[in-house]
Amino acid sequence: MPVAIITGSSRGLGRALAESLLADGWTVHGFARSPQTLAHPHFQAHAVDVGQESSVQAAVTTVLAAGRIDLLINNAGAASMNALLLTPAATAEALMRVNYLGTLHCLQAVGKVMVRQRAGLVVNLTTVVVPLSLAGEAAYVASKAAVEALTKVAAAELQSQGVRVNAVGLGPVDTDLTRAVGADKLHTLNRRIGRPQGTTLAEAVAFIAQEWRTPSLATGSIRYLGELT
Amino acid sequence: MATFTRDAAVRLILVRLARLGQELGKPVLAQADEQTRLFGEASPLDSIGLVTLMADLEDDIHQAAGVWVTIADEKAMSRLTSPFRRVGLLADHIVELVATAQT
Repeated sequence: MPVAIITGSSRGLGRALAESLLADGWTVHGFARSPQTLAHPHFQAHAVDVGQESSVQAAVTTVLAAGRIDLLINNAGAASMNALLLTPAATAEALMRVNYLGTLHCLQAVGKVMVRQRAGLVVNLTTVVVPLSLAGEAAYVASKAAVEALTKVAAAELQSQGVRVNAVGLGPVDTDLTRAVGADKLHTLNRRIGRPQGTTLAEAVAFIAQEWRTPSLATGSIRYLGELT
Repeated sequence: MATFTRDAAVRLILVRLARLGQELGKPVLAQADEQTRLFGEASPLDSIGLVTLMADLEDDIHQAAGVWVTIADEKAMSRLTSPFRRVGLLADHIVELVATAQT
């Protein structure tokens, strides 16, 4: 039974991805700061702060005790909408810590395991607002742009050892998080990516699941859900 | 817990280098000794090869000594004499890491 780690698995997209993997026959280890309520014989919850290297390292060691790691989905993330000149430094720092450093910590810890295995897949979550250079989200865009750059470099470095690293970018997905954002803002963004109807959780999961269901996908790719013009 | 000796560390490195040599098509790695360079122009390993060696060795150390160590830790990276320069220096570094992890 293949083994996956997914970060930010306590709710929303992360939890839905965990459920999808379980339905596909995977053993899933969920990393999250918040309590996790998903109950399944092949799901194990770990209390992890991805922004803390030692927390990630300890959890990966625990997972490894049970065997191998075939898939890492770096889903944990934070967002904040602020005009560039009004973005508090602490906000920018927090976004970089969770989005970029969180991805880096997990990629380093799990990447090492995958290099030993000479096999593995890492999927990093990014967003369509990077290629759109969306005004009003400078710190968020920058942190996810860093994730995309990291994805490409990691893919180049780890390819020869059988490890694939890709990124997938979504627009607003219908979750509790986005329901707090104004409908007009969401609609404008959805129209810009050719998805005026928005994106359901099921559609987002199906798009990301292509990564583990289609092993022939190239490494170092960044795929966006929507039409970016 | 038994002491993890320098000889044991050297053996782990040499065995792992020989296996890596087979995998990478570099049989010269099977002839490595304590003086073999692990990076730089005189080394048979490229940077990815060195990273792979470190990752594999961490697993070997866990099997042999029962502890997980991070070979390329910040202390190692900031040393004037890199522990990754030669096999012998790497063995010294590993013995130190294991001793610290076991206490």
